[in-house]
Amino acid sequence: MTRRPQVCLEIERDLVAAATGDAEPGAACRVEQHIDSCGACRGEFHRYREIEGVVGALRRVPSAVDSVARAREGLESRLADLKSRLVSYRVFPSPLGRILIARSEHGVSLVEYLDGGTDLRTSRLRRVTGVELQEDGAEIEALYRELMEYLRGDRTRLEWPLDLRLARSDFHRSVLRATAAIPYGAVTSYAGIAAEIGKPAAARAVAQALRWNPLPIVVPCHRIIGTSGALTGYSGDKIGLKQQLLAVEGIQAIGTRSESRVARNMLYHYARNDQHEYCLPTCGDIARRPIGPVTLLASRELAGSMGLVPCRDCRPDLHPLAA
Amino acid sequence: MWRARRPFHIRARAVSLLMMGAQPFETIVGAHHAEIYRYLRRVTSRTTEAEDLSQETFLRAYRAYRTLGPDANVRAWLFAIATNLSRNHFRSEKRRRVAHQAMSVESREADPGGPEHEARFGEARTLLESTVQGLPLRQRLAFVMRKIHDLDYEAIGRSLDCSAESARAHVFQALRKIRLNLDGHELPPAGGVEHPLRMEQPR
Repeated sequence: MTRRPQVCLEIERDLVAAATGDAEPGAACRVEQHIDSCGACRGEFHRYREIEGVVGALRRVPSAVDSVARAREGLESRLADLKSRLVSYRVFPSPLGRILIARSEHGVSLVEYLDGGTDLRTSRLRRVTGVELQEDGAEIEALYRELMEYLRGDRTRLEWPLDLRLARSDFHRSVLRATAAIPYGAVTSYAGIAAEIGKPAAARAVAQALRWNPLPIVVPCHRIIGTSGALTGYSGDKIGLKQQLLAVEGIQAIGTRSESRVARNMLYHYARNDQHEYCLPTCGDIARRPIGPVTLLASRELAGSMGLVPCRDCRPDLHPLAA
Repeated sequence: MWRARRPFHIRARAVSLLMMGAQPFETIVGAHHAEIYRYLRRVTSRTTEAEDLSQETFLRAYRAYRTLGPDANVRAWLFAIATNLSRNHFRSEKRRRVAHQAMSVESREADPGGPEHEARFGEARTLLESTVQGLPLRQRLAFVMRKIHDLDYEAIGRSLDCSAESARAHVFQALRKIRLNLDGHELPPAGGVEHPLRMEQPR
């Protein structure tokens, strides 16, 4: 057992701090005065100075570069794995009921209506395997703010990066991509999307795929209806929400629930033609032709932004529909 | 409930929502990984533990870094995570003892030695290292954060869930034990310029 070094107790803390370069203002001064008159403490002070020298040497020891690199390599691979698994989410109130928004590193991966007996525990999010869920704050809040602007009609686009990994198949993803391309204020049909992705006979499969749209509103499946103009369905049985979403874009529906259909007489019509002309609903038999081959448009501005020109027979430029 | 539709030409501004406010995480890793690894290497003594804990530190940081404020001290925050993880890791006294025993074998192997003028410190340094390894955990963590990584006592206190004053006391106790352990060993004389007597001149 080594002998306990002697140091004056009242000054010990300050002495150690001063000797190791860590003294608070004032303390160093007291220590200086004290060791001038106390030989034992002067010895201790120098001993601690020596120790500080060794600590300095320890501080300067370079760490083995290869072991740092190895740890970094391991980190990069675990980080990549975490990034691919981590999904953050939050639930918000909205005019359409409670809405869950979830995003991954790649983009927004799920938007889900949480009403009618669906809550977080029964959310689709809980059924996704191999993900790590995390309730998030600020970032999803920003998405939510944009969504609210959109639902108020103050914003026509949600330019969110999307993560389509929750889609069930390549077919599902191609349906979602084609749907995402339908602009604000335009309406087409399931058959129209089927034709768009090169599978004209697959209208029913398209409808089924959109029933499981993991990103409603963002991927605007509410803009897809039956060829006759009937709203058909939305996210299960939420046809009222479909009506609301279309109304925001200036597309009115008539009739109730299962009977409801878009009011074609209040919309411009575009039947694919080489002149890129769009028409009034009163132009020939255009209002009786199936939706899909015919796209419905809420405004002349929209038609213009799609590169369309007014029909030279019915002249929608001279006879605008009542807004 | 619904307000009238705005004209179509009002387009949303493109904002990268995924990167809002925070610096990219890769920047944080690049700036701090090596130091956090060294810190953990110093307090755990085994390479594999330091590797694992440093990785765990950054995985935790990744989960939370978006919530950091713009003025957050990222470095101190990472030290706090690493410190927390080491404390959990060493909660079992048995593990700590095993690590202590392993140290004497491994740290010398991993030690690259250093430049020639450091050679005079060689023996004393090894002795200091093993003394540090034998310190109670909180003293060891406080000592390494203060003396090797130069963190301030506020940050050390936050890492250890104690006041800055207690953090200072931990470092003091650590130095006292080191002083006792090195008693009777000849140390290289203090350089004299290495540390001025006062850090700050009293005004």
